Amino acid sequence: MSAKTEASEALEAEGSIVEDTATAKNQEVPANAVNVAPKKKEPPPESPASIRLRQYVIASFWAIIILVGLPIWWRTTAIYRAKLPLDQMMDWADGRACRPVFPLRISIEADALQDHEAQHLLRTTQHALDDLNEFSAHHLRLQLSQPANASVETTGLSAGAGDEEVALTIRLLPGTTTQADLQAYSPILDIQYTPNQVPSSSSSASSLANYIANTLRGLFAEEQAMIAYLLSTSSAPPERSPKALSPDVAESLARWTTRSLKYSRTYHLTFSLFTPAATPSSWDIEAALEEYMKPLLASFSEISNFTIDTQVQLYATPGVSGNVLKKEDLSGFINAAEWPLSPSIGGAPTVNFILYVGDMEVEGGGKSWLIPQWGGVVIQSDISDLRPAMLIFSNQLMSLLGAPEAGSLPLRLMTLVRVRSAGLLLKASGTMGSLARLTLALPSISIPRSVAEGVYTTIEHLRKACDGLGGKEGLENARIAEEAAEKAFFEKSMVGQVYFPDEHKVAVYLPLLGPVGVPLVMGIVKEFKAWRKRRRESR
Amino acid sequence: MKLNNLLQLPLVLASLLGPTSVSCEHTSNWAVLVSTSRFWFNYRHLANVLSLYRTVKRLGIPDSQIILMLPDDMACNPRNAFPGTVYSNADRAVDLYGDNIEVDYRGYEVTVENFIRLLTDRVGEEMPRSKRLLTDDRSNILVYMTGHGGNEFLKFQDAEEISAFDLADAFEQMWEKKRYHELLFMIDTCQANTMYSKFYSPNIIATGSSEIDQSSYSHHADNDVGVAVIDRYTYYNLDFLETQVREPSSKMTLGDLFDSYDESKIHSHPGVRWDLFPGGEPGGRERLVMDFFGNVQNVEVDSAENATEWKEDILALGRKIAELRKRADEADAAAVEEKNTSTPEQMFVRDIPKKIRAAKVEVDNTWWGKKAIGAWALAGCSLVWLAGTYLEAP
Repeated sequence: MSAKTEASEALEAEGSIVEDTATAKNQEVPANAVNVAPKKKEPPPESPASIRLRQYVIASFWAIIILVGLPIWWRTTAIYRAKLPLDQMMDWADGRACRPVFPLRISIEADALQDHEAQHLLRTTQHALDDLNEFSAHHLRLQLSQPANASVETTGLSAGAGDEEVALTIRLLPGTTTQADLQAYSPILDIQYTPNQVPSSSSSASSLANYIANTLRGLFAEEQAMIAYLLSTSSAPPERSPKALSPDVAESLARWTTRSLKYSRTYHLTFSLFTPAATPSSWDIEAALEEYMKPLLASFSEISNFTIDTQVQLYATPGVSGNVLKKEDLSGFINAAEWPLSPSIGGAPTVNFILYVGDMEVEGGGKSWLIPQWGGVVIQSDISDLRPAMLIFSNQLMSLLGAPEAGSLPLRLMTLVRVRSAGLLLKASGTMGSLARLTLALPSISIPRSVAEGVYTTIEHLRKACDGLGGKEGLENARIAEEAAEKAFFEKSMVGQVYFPDEHKVAVYLPLLGPVGVPLVMGIVKEFKAWRKRRRESR
Repeated sequence: MKLNNLLQLPLVLASLLGPTSVSCEHTSNWAVLVSTSRFWFNYRHLANVLSLYRTVKRLGIPDSQIILMLPDDMACNPRNAFPGTVYSNADRAVDLYGDNIEVDYRGYEVTVENFIRLLTDRVGEEMPRSKRLLTDDRSNILVYMTGHGGNEFLKFQDAEEISAFDLADAFEQMWEKKRYHELLFMIDTCQANTMYSKFYSPNIIATGSSEIDQSSYSHHADNDVGVAVIDRYTYYNLDFLETQVREPSSKMTLGDLFDSYDESKIHSHPGVRWDLFPGGEPGGRERLVMDFFGNVQNVEVDSAENATEWKEDILALGRKIAELRKRADEADAAAVEEKNTSTPEQMFVRDIPKKIRAAKVEVDNTWWGKKAIGAWALAGCSLVWLAGTYLEAP
């Protein structure tokens, strides 16, 4: 009630002022006219229809902004982030998803023994092996070979799918002395035994069983240590960490990881001849490669492929001079600035082999050295016979590829398959973890669908690889998993300027929000005020 | 037995961690040298980078492991009074451009995006290996940047800028993917120390030319070239590298390098950040300069005594291989024979079309389909036209 009277009083006051100004206009301007507030002429009252129309106009503007503008803005500025199975990825990275086990089947061929004797020997040997083994991930399992497999020697390395699983065949042969003999070309271990070593069915231990167990353990010790080392350097849970590696073993294994190249499906080998003068200007490299290198590379074919090129450089001066090279100078021997040893041939990593014509030698008399993860160098004064250099190169290649140092070639290759698949498995798992952590750490990075697909492919193949570790299947799956993981992590579109400071955002939006926002907000504020006024009046 | 193993675990871990961390050495050295400014009056920035390029090359990092980013070509600038050359000193003793320089990213390729792509290796398949940073967890990287910068940003080409946050995130992604072993970050720009203030990834040593609100100054101008030719901070770094680190076997440490900075000469306060490095300042100071500026590899020499022994070993290997090959050949021969006997004429037939195909464009199997679609489209167009004329007619 009182509000209404106040309002009407105010109106009256206004009215009187109007009159005042009117009179002031009639008279000449009085001295006190400046103090009088200028009188505004009120517009004619609006019709309710036009008020409603204006309200509709404002409402429709806001409706467009909220219903169309906001969703469009949201859609166009939102970063697409495909859903990733973060928990699974972290499980793989932490080693919870997979327990790497390498069951190796070892088949025993004992034609000279009775069936029950053989069975008994098998049991006792297995027992002895299990007692010796402290590293559960790497497990040797014995079995008696089927008579059909008796002719393993003819299958050799190119064994059929049936006996692919068998890592080693032991042939027990009666003889006069106890001795083990590892065959050079195929994974066969000949063990000779004296007749009195055959265990009687009553005894629980026998010297022959112990002998076999110890020999096997010796054969696979290096592989076990390698796998144990790989697992220990990964982020596997500690309870799976293997037995203690003695410091010197650990050190040699650290050297092994330093030396060997990262796994790749294809390597590129470059053989270079560098001569300090104009002669010799040619070398019989093709024949030498054909003779010494190709057979070795062929035997690697299921692990990696190789491409080869060669070059000759005349007047090449090494980075260090003198007839006796100091060991610490050797890394400067390669004149990186001038020798054309570009690795950018194709997409594969390059392994360099350098034959330098000269008669210098390293302190201590060596004439060749290996540069970790890079290649090898041989110094030779006479290159008419390339055989010594090629032999050194092939040995260096074996080391660079990470093959173990002991054992026969087939065993070394099979070990390499297992070690490489373990390495790839761990690497792909680690990449999964990196990707998961990155996804959480950088919320403004976009994650396209291809990354999610890559992650699912990786996990699928990791699972397969984990189940089939130890065979070629495992290597193949681990390789696919690793490739997919790398591809997902290095997705090309997952880059961009990820960080926008707030000032940038203000600077971007202000020119738009200023001119557009002010009329919109003012319109709604004015309408609200008018509505309040009308309500007050009507009350 | 089990319990015994478990009890041994801490010992096992300790014995494992001990030697691995000690013997964990780097096997390759990489350098990423970036100038971010173009135009003639920024001659000195390109000269900075080229001088450093020359130094790391002299100390043994091969061209294939140096990524050089030059946004402009000063040697061929029409204003250059010495065409084809770039000098970083008024005595013009050393032509930095020389005849053996490999620029990986040049001109408009030097962008923030390309730089971050380079660091994180998020590049397409088409990118050649020479333009990629193919590092791994055993690589030491030197990252040197120079240009015009400000508080927490560095300008690229007067068009865009990289922020300290972006750089820190890029390094974190590198660390997460194990793309470096240790990283030395050097930057010569105004307010340079702000650029490394946001780093949070381990194993990084960072150093910059000037503090926040401080400018970084040029050293001297060459009156014949007409512009300043080098910046102070870079000049004194190079001075140390040229006079103290003469050959790859140098034992100078990063501590020596940073102690050589004389603020009265550099005219700004260079900063060093150690806290990300394991071992902190004492550990970082002991790192050799050659660990980042050179290419030291721990070679393994085959000693003379061993040689004969394993040569024989390898002889055996050779024999084995020959044997294997013979066997494989036999197997192959048998397989081929089998094939030959079963389908001899097929093989013959298969060979010939292959030869023709190699010289021909790929055979199009959907030829008739395409023809049909084309005919339909033509017919449809004419139908529409006819309909239009019919409707218009009355």
